[in-house]
Amino acid sequence: MILLDIKNLTLEIESNGVLVKALDKASLILEEGEIRALVGESGSGKSLIVKAISGALPPQWIVTADRMTWRGQNLLTMTRAERRKIMRRDIAVVFQDPVAALDPSATLQEQLTESIPEEFVAGTWFWQKRRSRLDIAHSLLHKVGIKDTEYCMAHYAHELPVDICQKFMIAMALVSQPTVLIADDPTRGMETNTKRQILSLFKNLNKTRDLSILFVSHDLVAISSMADTMTVLYCGQTVEDGPFQSVRKKPFHPYTKALMDSAPSFSPDLQPKSALIALGGTIPTLQHLPIGCRLGPRCPRAQKKCVETPVSRKINQHTYRCHFPMHLDDKGIL
Amino acid sequence: MLNTLVRYFNLIVITLFILLLISFSLAYFFPGDPYTNLTGKMLLADTDGPLAAAFREGNVLQQFWYYVQNLTMGNWGHSFSSALPLYDQIFQTLPATLELTFYASTLSLVIGIPCGMLAGFLHHKKTDYTFMSMSMVMVSFPVFWLALLLILIFSLQLNLLPMSGRLSLLYDIPETSGFVLIDIINSSHPDRDAALYDAIQHLILPTIAVSFITTAVFLRTTRRAIVDVMATEYIKTAQTRGLPFYVIFSRHVLRNAMLSILPLLAIQISTLVTNVMIVETVFSWPGVGHWLIQAIYERDYPAIRIGMLLVSSIVVFFAMSLECISRLIDPSRDNKKYA
Ligand SMILES: Nc1ncnc2c1ncn2[C@@H]1O[C@H](COP(=O)(O)OP(=O)(O)O)[C@@H](O)[C@H]1O
Ligand code: SF4
Ligand SMILES: [Mg+2]
Repeated sequence: MILLDIKNLTLEIESNGVLVKALDKASLILEEGEIRALVGESGSGKSLIVKAISGALPPQWIVTADRMTWRGQNLLTMTRAERRKIMRRDIAVVFQDPVAALDPSATLQEQLTESIPEEFVAGTWFWQKRRSRLDIAHSLLHKVGIKDTEYCMAHYAHELPVDICQKFMIAMALVSQPTVLIADDPTRGMETNTKRQILSLFKNLNKTRDLSILFVSHDLVAISSMADTMTVLYCGQTVEDGPFQSVRKKPFHPYTKALMDSAPSFSPDLQPKSALIALGGTIPTLQHLPIGCRLGPRCPRAQKKCVETPVSRKINQHTYRCHFPMHLDDKGIL
Repeated sequence: MLNTLVRYFNLIVITLFILLLISFSLAYFFPGDPYTNLTGKMLLADTDGPLAAAFREGNVLQQFWYYVQNLTMGNWGHSFSSALPLYDQIFQTLPATLELTFYASTLSLVIGIPCGMLAGFLHHKKTDYTFMSMSMVMVSFPVFWLALLLILIFSLQLNLLPMSGRLSLLYDIPETSGFVLIDIINSSHPDRDAALYDAIQHLILPTIAVSFITTAVFLRTTRRAIVDVMATEYIKTAQTRGLPFYVIFSRHVLRNAMLSILPLLAIQISTLVTNVMIVETVFSWPGVGHWLIQAIYERDYPAIRIGMLLVSSIVVFFAMSLECISRLIDPSRDNKKYA
């Protein structure tokens, strides 16, 4: 069953009086029970997709989409109350910057306990409920690997190290036992052991509780250990999408290829001392977007035709948007 | 916590000391004999007291020292014009000022903050624009002109409300606390209800005149704070957690907005006091402001000195205390820079 179905999501931001498309026809599907990786270099718009799904965008930004549904219900047209209900119980989000996402004037305990849905709280009297809430909170914090849970809950976000806040955000997302977890770079800056713990928690929840995960990250090693499917985003356009192994072994899009090659430990058949193959230049800013395929100026395979935006083509489960894909002959056959 | 308290305490003490210094030096700047300007009395050969002795010797440091000592003992000098002790005069007029300030600021808070919140939540909507243009007009009114306008319309044209004073002369209410409403309620005057009604009628116009601008300022401050807080990541995040609006509002928006409003309100205290003094003059409200302006007209130097010292000390004290409190209740104070 398809949980999240996003087709041609376009997000327009006003910048210096002109509308620019920060997201240009991005598409993404999240199936029940899968772990999908969303990758792309910094500034590709990954966080924007996360915010668009969770409804955390500033109201003046224009969101349009051919389809943006949760279990078939249109997220863009539903009432605020309906959307809030979905966000309360079904979709949980871990945002990129944990310290900014926490209220600076409330202790972490307040913020965690208020997120616990009433249904999970045992007891009839308020002190019983309070006790029950605290128990839930402590056990959750333990689960994400916070040792001194008392200390953590008694403090404010700015008083704690960033990695504790990161774990805390993950705990807060998991507290409602969601169907989908959207995690925007949840392991950024974590040390290896901590990271492994978080990743195995995710994998575990995915297996035992059937938690679907949209895992946004740069960390290809982490992704390769858990992702079933992968979506590659470049500059607001989804460039490639498909089962993880297939995308990794035979990327069609030059950008995906460069991305895979840029992670040396990850690249399967990297010769010793071969030069790192990466694209020259940097991701364009929103003010200077190229027309057509946005990779154009950096693409080694670019030709004249690339000033037209390529449409997305599909081979088996594998979608790409490129006029001159790799690993395919002229007729588009593998 | 203690650090903040000590810091603000020092700040208040230093500022008050500077104010004392200035008030003392005024005695030298005013024309005439400094001793007379300071105390309202002539310096005769047989005037006793350490201050007089210091003036005869000409030791300025000692003069200042005994001046401060006199102040702390309630020995504030005598008025030129009435020859009465200034201490008594001040404490006769101060309650009227405090009363007016209290009502006006309460009114401003009660109207300004909720309207500001409404405007903040309806950011870029019609309500917001209406409130914003209204408050823009309101802050542009000069106070004295507004006060005169109110008198012109409500007292002279419509004849609805009295144009000056605090209570009609018909009612002879004994002054105990100095706050007219409290005094009336506590008195056993036969026409108590009528007196109360009369006092409230006298209060309406000055209160409106003072709170007009303050309300507008509070409204704008609150709106800005709400808009800023609503745009933060953590409010967006709280919304994506699916928390109901009232939880987000009461647990997250309100507290953070208040934390940023409070220090701004502290700054407004001086404007408020200035406006109160102007309004007192226009409405002949028997408060410190009215009294001080009279003193200036009459070149009553001791009164000017003590009035200036008192008003500025009150402003400094309240503004800094409010700021200190807002610092103390702000949990993120540790990573903010101190003043
Ligand atoms: N609040 C904002 N205002 C204007 N532009 C923004 C804002 N947030 C993000 N952007 C722009 O959108 C693009 C994508 O940003 P983001 O989604 O944060 O990328 P990623 O998460 O993939 O690193 C960037 O070019 C960034 O400059
Ligand atoms: S469409 Fe052209 S520019 Fe874009 S990735 Fe393909 S070859 Fe490169
Ligand atoms: Mg990001």
